[in-house]
Amino acid sequence: MSSSESPFQINVPEEKLTTLHAKLELATFPDELEDAGWKYGAPLADIKRLTERWRNEYDWRKHEKELNQELPMFTRDIDVDGFGPLNIHYVHKKSEAVDAIPLLFCHGWPGSFLEVRKILPLLTASSPEHPSFHVVALSLPGFGFSEAPHTQGFALNQYAEVAHKLMLALGYNEYVTQGGDWGCIITRRMASVYGGRHHKAWHTNFPVAESPSWKSPLSFLSFLLTPLRTVWFHTKGHGYFNEQSTQPQTLGYSLADSPVGLLAWIYEKLVVWTDNYQWSDDEVLTWISLYWFSRAGPAASLRIYFELADDCEDLGPNPTIPMGASYFPRELIVLPAAWLRRLNNVIFESHHKSGGHFAAIERPEELVQDVRKMFAKGSPAFAIVPGRSGYT
Amino acid sequence: MRSPFGNLGDRWIEPHYHGGGLHTVPQHWTRTEEQIEVQFRVGPMGNVLNFHPNKPRTHLTCTLTTMSSPESPFQINVPDEKITTLHAKLELVTFPDELEDAGWKYGAPLADIKRLTERWRNEYDWRKHEKELNQELPMFTRDIDVYGFGTLNIHYVYKKSEAVDAIPLLFCHGWPGSFLEVRKILPLLTASSPEHPSFHVVALSLPGFGFSEAPHTQGFGINQYAEVAHKLMLALSYNEYVTQGGDWGFLITRKMASVYGGKHHKAWHTNTPLADPPSWKSPLSFLSFLLTPWSPEEKAGIERSTWFHTKGSGYVSEQSTQPQTLGYSLADSPVGLLAWIYEKLVIWTDNYQWSDDEVLTWISLYWFSQCRARCFPSHLLRCLGPNPTIPMGMSYFPKEIQCRWLRRSNNTGGHFAATERPEELVRDVRKMFAKGSPAFAIVSGRSGYT
Repeated sequence: MSSSESPFQINVPEEKLTTLHAKLELATFPDELEDAGWKYGAPLADIKRLTERWRNEYDWRKHEKELNQELPMFTRDIDVDGFGPLNIHYVHKKSEAVDAIPLLFCHGWPGSFLEVRKILPLLTASSPEHPSFHVVALSLPGFGFSEAPHTQGFALNQYAEVAHKLMLALGYNEYVTQGGDWGCIITRRMASVYGGRHHKAWHTNFPVAESPSWKSPLSFLSFLLTPLRTVWFHTKGHGYFNEQSTQPQTLGYSLADSPVGLLAWIYEKLVVWTDNYQWSDDEVLTWISLYWFSRAGPAASLRIYFELADDCEDLGPNPTIPMGASYFPRELIVLPAAWLRRLNNVIFESHHKSGGHFAAIERPEELVQDVRKMFAKGSPAFAIVPGRSGYT
Repeated sequence: MRSPFGNLGDRWIEPHYHGGGLHTVPQHWTRTEEQIEVQFRVGPMGNVLNFHPNKPRTHLTCTLTTMSSPESPFQINVPDEKITTLHAKLELVTFPDELEDAGWKYGAPLADIKRLTERWRNEYDWRKHEKELNQELPMFTRDIDVYGFGTLNIHYVYKKSEAVDAIPLLFCHGWPGSFLEVRKILPLLTASSPEHPSFHVVALSLPGFGFSEAPHTQGFGINQYAEVAHKLMLALSYNEYVTQGGDWGFLITRKMASVYGGKHHKAWHTNTPLADPPSWKSPLSFLSFLLTPWSPEEKAGIERSTWFHTKGSGYVSEQSTQPQTLGYSLADSPVGLLAWIYEKLVIWTDNYQWSDDEVLTWISLYWFSQCRARCFPSHLLRCLGPNPTIPMGMSYFPKEIQCRWLRRSNNTGGHFAATERPEELVRDVRKMFAKGSPAFAIVSGRSGYT
């Protein structure tokens, strides 16, 4: 099912850095309408400034070294039914608490394993006051330093299978999960397929639910009150989704060939999807560089939209294992909590006054606090992984 | 109608026309190097009354600008430095991977893009094609003044027929089209004969496309594109004209027909007719629509449209919401631009056998054009506005991307009819204006026959 683990350090070949710089030297920018602001997309001044820094001052090796120091990383082969073995990259850090709860952190797009950076020390911190966790943060196939699938049809079940098998391979027969964006969809599928026996509980900061039927008048009413943010996302913020889920290869040529194109494509989301988060230029450039230097290249990461398009139409059966939901107001899809409660076994819920889509980056303390509460003494999910309360 | 001010020196000024003849006064005024300040009386409907030097000047003071400048001949002459940069980028190209047996399922295939890139980098000779275009297509530029947007320098192809009373025809492209699409139909449309009408042809580059200047400020919408095209025809002294357009060219010429129709715009032909199905508001049509079984061709058309809306509209979605974000990629990566457009050239056509050089010339024009074509806000697609009443001609091609609710008139062909089926398209346009047709000699004194 899987091979043994190998320690992993990011070590981008020098030649890749040289090519990046050569391309940045040749960067050609579009023009922009007067006073465009963010109306037509990422502003020219921002992209020029970031490109300039990327070309001249940004020091990838420094950030690469920091990541290697902060994040204990590994790779191992995971065998996927019908797809052969894929070499999967992941962060794995254990808490000092011996019976900490095994937790899988699952990212989305344009996220990555990098999103675990701030919450890792918090989740693994041991204490008699709150539960702690052994954390596994994988790079999904086709992202980060994980191998991408080579054949068609690698869909939701396969992503769930990889994540599940990784936990088993690490000796975690029972585990919990935390996920946002695709990470929510994937951990939700894990909960359906592996729930109960292996997957004991799941937490998400991207709580999406199917809308209730017209037969329920109160639900219909709340549907009419759909927040503007959700409406905005579906009418103005969906272009990337539509292209990536229908013609990802066509878009892929641009993102693979132009670092500036990739920068703009992702930076737009980093800003527009967050709640006024003050990204430093280096934070952005490290994020984008990871996509640029990823093992399979940035184009491979787009395919998840195409392959999971059908799964998105029909998310499949509702899981029954305990679920926790953290609501952040600037998330992309903000739906009434009642809808989620109607369809899932929601045992924890929190509503925040600020924060957006990238909760682990924007609100790491709040997110970790929520996860700790979900598994705290007195909670329905306390010690849900038998013998692992996570308390010292 | 001429301005009440007549001619001022060598420029003439015309008030803005709208709809059924009301003269509305524009809200915004632009400044140019030569400003002419005038005052004139405005009637209760907002119409400009005849200027009379002795009558009191009230209501409005505004600065009118000249409508257009004289014409300058134009030859494409891409600076060497741009060609050098293109080649430097092609040398550094990085390709994505591809899934096994992907074919066209996920987008433009890797083998195609690699082959085209290789040719573009090594064998493709831009200067040769540039020279051919300069020889084949008589081109010009002139400034056109657009209310509220200042002057834009507009590039166009302009060729007259030998037939003195040929019909003035404006050819209007779309995206990812260009003036290049007139190339094959130009000699056919301008050919004079006693057997069929001929045309004086004007093929503009829309603002932001080809070698036309792009608008610099926000809000340049359908009305403005229509205004540019209309004013170009007037500037060429075609007070009355007809049009042929597809893609955005359809929407723009349709707007021209609404705004300038009757008086100036006499008839319009399109190869991408968009229409809604009959609604319950027209009970007989609606009933017929509900009851008439689909023919095999109509079913195929509906399937094609469904495919377009579910699988082929990603580009519309991004270009109509975040065009700047996409623009960085298309401005920086020639291979990215190649793939983005090539995908449409193939899947929107009916098995048209593009030669590599044909594709590369098409893409190179986009790459070397003055500015990246910004795409149009999505609301333009929904606000079709009132239906024009001037005579309309439609050519249907089965592989067109939007649904047909009516019969087909051609057995093959797709979205780029002027490139794929030039003879058929010209045949259709000639028929529309032929002797015996309702649109015969619709432009006064111009039958187009020798």
